Amino acid sequence: MLELKKINAKVKDSDKQILNNLSLKINDGQIHAIMGPNGTGKTTIANVIMNHYNYELISGNILFDNKNINNLSTDERARLGIFLCNQAPTEIEGVSNSEFLRTALSSKTGRKVNLYTFIKDMEENMKSLGLDSSMMHRSLNVGFSGGEKKKNEILQLKILKPKFIILDELDSGLDVDSLKIVCRNINEYKNENSNCSILIITHHPKILEYIKPDVVHILDNGMIVKSGDLSLAYKIEEEGYKNE
Amino acid sequence: MNDLNIIYILEKNSKLDLNYDIDKNTIIYNYSVNTSLNININLVCEGVFVKYYCNVINYDNNIHHVIVKHLVSNTCSYIYCHGVNVDNNSLLFYIDGVIPKGSNKSTNYQDSQIINIKFGKSKIYPNLLIDEFDTSSSHSAYIGKLKDEYMFYLNSVGINNKDAKHLLLYAFLNNTDSIDNDKIDFFLEEIDRI
Repeated sequence: MLELKKINAKVKDSDKQILNNLSLKINDGQIHAIMGPNGTGKTTIANVIMNHYNYELISGNILFDNKNINNLSTDERARLGIFLCNQAPTEIEGVSNSEFLRTALSSKTGRKVNLYTFIKDMEENMKSLGLDSSMMHRSLNVGFSGGEKKKNEILQLKILKPKFIILDELDSGLDVDSLKIVCRNINEYKNENSNCSILIITHHPKILEYIKPDVVHILDNGMIVKSGDLSLAYKIEEEGYKNE
Repeated sequence: MNDLNIIYILEKNSKLDLNYDIDKNTIIYNYSVNTSLNININLVCEGVFVKYYCNVINYDNNIHHVIVKHLVSNTCSYIYCHGVNVDNNSLLFYIDGVIPKGSNKSTNYQDSQIINIKFGKSKIYPNLLIDEFDTSSSHSAYIGKLKDEYMFYLNSVGINNKDAKHLLLYAFLNNTDSIDNDKIDFFLEEIDRI
């Protein structure tokens, strides 16, 4: 599904290299988690995969379904089926939630979206996420609580049906109940789409109790320093990152 | 709401001087394409407000000069000016809020933004000319391109640059929720051409 080969990356217009020779392979249907303390480059991985304007790939290759996507733009990568669930979703005044999602869906399918089917689909998914259907017509993420913003990201995921999902600090800004609802929706999606792969980026192992990873990686100084199963995450919870 | 006065300014390729004496609550919608405009808004009756929504698409060198005078006390003005400068010419906003002595408990709020699509020379001069202590005034001004952060967020769900730009410009240039879109067909079509 997704393979990062010897990735070196930095912040644009800066000498500061963040990812150092990072390699990672996530197969179809697998769930991987990347853990690490603040400032080790976890979010940079997500941004490099999505070709974020602030980051520069110095060397290395990003392969998606065995195709090199280094030269693809952000929207082209998204249309291949890569979805980034943002740590801090952007607020855009004047662009309604439904307009945004309908345009995204139309871009992905290359067809005009049937309004009736789309609204029905939105309403069902919003209900499942505990979102009020009136939020469909509100400006994108404007005035949403932290929890509503994250749920809105999952709503996008359920409508756009990606093949590869990056969950960047999904648990930040979510209370326990909202985290459970969001994770239940992600698990349902994963069960319905068994080939879908997920990359979870997190500080805390709590989220991994709800979405169980096949592999856990520890990131330090832009490199994966250790990989293991879920027990590695629990060990980190008990002992912290310093002993790794 | 029956006492609300609605004024539309719908202009293309013109130069205008307009004067309004506001004696009841008023909303002014200005949707202009490639137009220079001097607009004087005088608040002449206590307790009234005016909201001025100005949306401008610019191709040549144009100036928008808005002067709002609070001539009596307890009046409010909300001035929202959004411009898109399409080519490499200049778009200037002069926004003057005037509260003379005696017009106490008045509010003047200004929000002005210009998006340069290419390398246009745009300037905003927000002026608050206040000669009274018991008033409330504020202004904000932004000149720049479409924000990278917005473009990235739209791109990251698969929306291409052309459609993303259209969504953002449409939102930026139609910055009110109560307009009847049929009235501004010509303007919406112009947004499609940017």
